[in-house]
Amino acid sequence: MPRFTSTAAVIGILYAGVALLPALAADGGAIPDFSSNNTGWDGGGENDFTSPKSGPGPVTSDPAEPYISNFTARRTGQAPNWRIADLTNPILKPWVVDALRQANDDARNGKAMFTREARCWPQGVPAMLLNPILLFFVQTPKEVWILQQADHRVRRVYLDQPHTANPKPSWFGESVGHYEGGDTLVVDTIGMNDKTFVDSYRTPHTTQLHVVERFKLIDGGKTLEVDFTVDDPGAFNMPWSASKRWKRVKRTLEEETCAENNATFFKYEVEPMPQADKPDF
Amino acid sequence: MNDVFARAGLALGAVLAAASLPGAARGADTAPDIAGIYWASRYDAKIQIVGGGDLPLTAAGKAAYDENMAGLKNGSITDTARKFCLPDGLPRVLATPYPFEIVQAPPGQVTIIYEFSHQIRVVTMDRPMPNDKELIPYPFYNGHSVGHFEGDTLVVETAGFNEKTFVDATGALHTDALRTIERIRKVSPIELEDVITVHDPEYYTRDWQARFVYRQRNDVRLEDYTCGNVHRDLSAVAGVHRP
Repeated sequence: MPRFTSTAAVIGILYAGVALLPALAADGGAIPDFSSNNTGWDGGGENDFTSPKSGPGPVTSDPAEPYISNFTARRTGQAPNWRIADLTNPILKPWVVDALRQANDDARNGKAMFTREARCWPQGVPAMLLNPILLFFVQTPKEVWILQQADHRVRRVYLDQPHTANPKPSWFGESVGHYEGGDTLVVDTIGMNDKTFVDSYRTPHTTQLHVVERFKLIDGGKTLEVDFTVDDPGAFNMPWSASKRWKRVKRTLEEETCAENNATFFKYEVEPMPQADKPDF
Repeated sequence: MNDVFARAGLALGAVLAAASLPGAARGADTAPDIAGIYWASRYDAKIQIVGGGDLPLTAAGKAAYDENMAGLKNGSITDTARKFCLPDGLPRVLATPYPFEIVQAPPGQVTIIYEFSHQIRVVTMDRPMPNDKELIPYPFYNGHSVGHFEGDTLVVETAGFNEKTFVDATGALHTDALRTIERIRKVSPIELEDVITVHDPEYYTRDWQARFVYRQRNDVRLEDYTCGNVHRDLSAVAGVHRP
């Protein structure tokens, strides 16, 4: 919304003069400000994780059949395609390799391999980080909300407290967190159901999934980076790490609803969207 | 940028700058604290208007309501807020039998998140309502909201709605000319009141109000909500009849 945004920018500049006093973490240390002055975080269009410089990393594209995203296709003029996972990644347990082989075959056979998010399903953690559009944070002393503009999805992070004993499995799980070193928010997430994929390749996981994310402001606050570690002894042979970055933009969260205008005009096979055959109340 | 709007923004920005600190609720020292988790203890499918009686429908409003009710009954019209969990819009979202949370953050904003259909309302504080030229291209289910405090009351004005939502679960309707004003305040240490005034002269002969009261329930954690899944027990909310 250009007009809202430009006015927001004007006001943001006026705020900025007094917006330099840091707030304090529970231990009295400063906390990073991910949210003030109409701050949004733009994922830049690509929905893949960045592999670590060394050590076990996320599933990537098979080098023999490289993935061409729509964004890459626009830049390079190549034809976009669906992802084919590299099945040789040592993190993968045999049953996960089998699941990915099936997904690879489906893609090669021309099946539409849209993300489940495109059909309005929650992504879970860490796949929520892959949303290529906008994230927003709401920070209070007790809680951090991570809001995804697309389909107004919400994650809640409870600060400075332990996990509950047996969290009921849910889409985004149970997240607890704390601030570290004045520039980092550490989020620990368990209790996720096994209905989501951890990435855009359709890598499945179990309810043992445990994700630790470290959100950090870099580049003088112009960039938000998350480094995270994924552990799931049910699906992976070892913990693995990856990262993702967003650029700071001046935006206010706008309403962006998923479950509308989702007709399939081209008759391809797609997953059903979430719907209630009987109303909830 | 519209010059008048820009000037208003500049002037207001200068005022706000003096009152703004990051990381804490804006004006936390002065603004009343209405933050918390709230949960209604009763649910009415049919909206109960202040003073009692029926909705003051115009002829066009009655015709639209009758047609909508008939369509819902014979299946030719879908209640998309329930079937696909699209946002409820106002005032229907206020009737939610699920908990919701109010946070007075980030600075300059009050954020309301409803568990039901994970609806998010962003209330931009101490800024003028965008004009029609700015609102009309971007109709939202839950509209565009601006707010300010008057004493202990958060006053939220909302406009820029689409016309896809119902006023209540019986299928009463509104047009995209709808504007609402909510007066939200704590009426006791554990109760929050939201009195909404509905202005839509195309479908209603006069402005009318509805009042919603919620209990503060900071012992409850909001949960993920996905359409069609099994969700939390609502048996404590009078008037809820799960099919």
